[in-house]
Amino acid sequence: MMMMMSAAASHVRVVLPLHQQRRTISIGSEIFRLSQTEPRRFKLTIATNVTAKYKGTKMREEKLSEMIEEKVKEATEVCDTDERSEECRVAWDEVEEVSQARSDLRIKLKLLNQDPLESFWQENPETDECRVYQD
Amino acid sequence: MAVSTIYSTQALNSTHFLTSSSSSKQVFLYRRQPQTNRRFNTLITCSQETIVIGLAADSGCGKSTFMRRLTSVFGGAAKPPKGGNPDSNTLISDTTTVICLDDYHSLDRYGRKEQKVTALDPRANDFDLMYEQVKALKSGVAVEKPIYNHVTGLLDPPELIQPPKILVIEGLHPMFDERVRDLLDFSIYLDISNEVKFAWKIQRDMAERGHSLESIKASIEARKPDFDAFIDPQKQYADAVIEVLPTQLIPDDNEGKVLRVRLIMKEGVKYFSPVYLFDEGSTISWIPCGRKLTCSYPGIKFNYEPDSYFDHEVSVLEMDGQFDRLDELIYVESHLSNLSTKFYGEVTQQMLKHADFPGSNNGTGLFQTIVGLKIRDLYEQLIANKATARAEAAKA
Repeated sequence: MMMMMSAAASHVRVVLPLHQQRRTISIGSEIFRLSQTEPRRFKLTIATNVTAKYKGTKMREEKLSEMIEEKVKEATEVCDTDERSEECRVAWDEVEEVSQARSDLRIKLKLLNQDPLESFWQENPETDECRVYQD
Repeated sequence: MAVSTIYSTQALNSTHFLTSSSSSKQVFLYRRQPQTNRRFNTLITCSQETIVIGLAADSGCGKSTFMRRLTSVFGGAAKPPKGGNPDSNTLISDTTTVICLDDYHSLDRYGRKEQKVTALDPRANDFDLMYEQVKALKSGVAVEKPIYNHVTGLLDPPELIQPPKILVIEGLHPMFDERVRDLLDFSIYLDISNEVKFAWKIQRDMAERGHSLESIKASIEARKPDFDAFIDPQKQYADAVIEVLPTQLIPDDNEGKVLRVRLIMKEGVKYFSPVYLFDEGSTISWIPCGRKLTCSYPGIKFNYEPDSYFDHEVSVLEMDGQFDRLDELIYVESHLSNLSTKFYGEVTQQMLKHADFPGSNNGTGLFQTIVGLKIRDLYEQLIANKATARAEAAKA
């Protein structure tokens, strides 16, 4: 299952730095000289296909997604009775916490381009969580 | 751990602290003391100065982009501790360690549910422990810091944290407790307006099957009372506030893609000289797009002015719009002053390094990078200061 993050991904315009450009930045120069007339512009949708490599990470992703569903349902129920009660606030706070954790995991995979369990695996190759995930 | 007293001569000013090499070993010359009656310590201590930076914002420790930009300015990539708890919130690079203050929760998710307090409530956090450990790290002592596991919602066994050169504490309450506040050498508050928060949370959560527009809205509304009571007041203590607002360049824009970002910098903070545009202390409005620079819609607009923020004198640098091309960025950089860069184009280079991070084309990325450079500058000044102070003491 490929991680389709394009729904949540933003269109990023990435200007690729050309090797020559860096060398032409000279200290004190007024005119920024480009070795090409115009830097190329690309529009990328980060619909990443960095998938979870280890079973442990896959488990976490699924667990968090499930928890979000559960907790949203719970919070809606609790808040139906009294919107301003403490229970309602706590319930939505839990939703927020889990949503953020889910997002952090996604970001880690995307930005680091590596599974967060990578270093854990190196030290503990035997654990169940470190079995390589195969779809 | 090697232990050595450092005496530095007057001529040696430690300016090379943060080089690109992974481990900068400092070589100091020391002058042999003349024989006096005073007995000098034969025990030598290699004390390392630690500065503490506080970063406050909503949603726990989701400020990964800011953190990564910050640590990248100091050199090296920040990674979770090797081989430890995979759910650790800590990030470690060569020079910097980032601690998530959620680790100091006194109540785990179940405890909070029972006591009916949110994570925003100070009752859910152990400020005594936070203070003790930050103080210990600042004075060069390693600590066993608890881990709050965001997946399970439980407090995991502690991890060992070594004192770093730069310690960043990020979370909901870095400036809440007065004792912790006094330990901070610099503090930043990320102030996201409600409209932008809503737009960002939609981007974050809409892909999740559990969420809908209503649930996201309800979640933000429910958080407001606690947020306004406990988190928001911290911004008056911050040395720098990064305020993110919807753009004024596009009428009725509610997508939250184009942003207006304000960098509010407190005046009179030690080792911190605010960035300015053209003329310090004056009021400037600047649109760089024109004859020399062509920008696409909606363009870029800068504002700079002195102001008052919670009874403090501040300077505000504001950017509305977005960068489209490399040369727009370098053009803007060449007109800003007091950036604390080490070479022309450093801000641009740092932004390019992380061109894939969110905010790379607008004020959020720009100001986060600038704040990173300011902190590096603060660190170097502090070190240089302490070195000269020690030299004076050694002479006496």
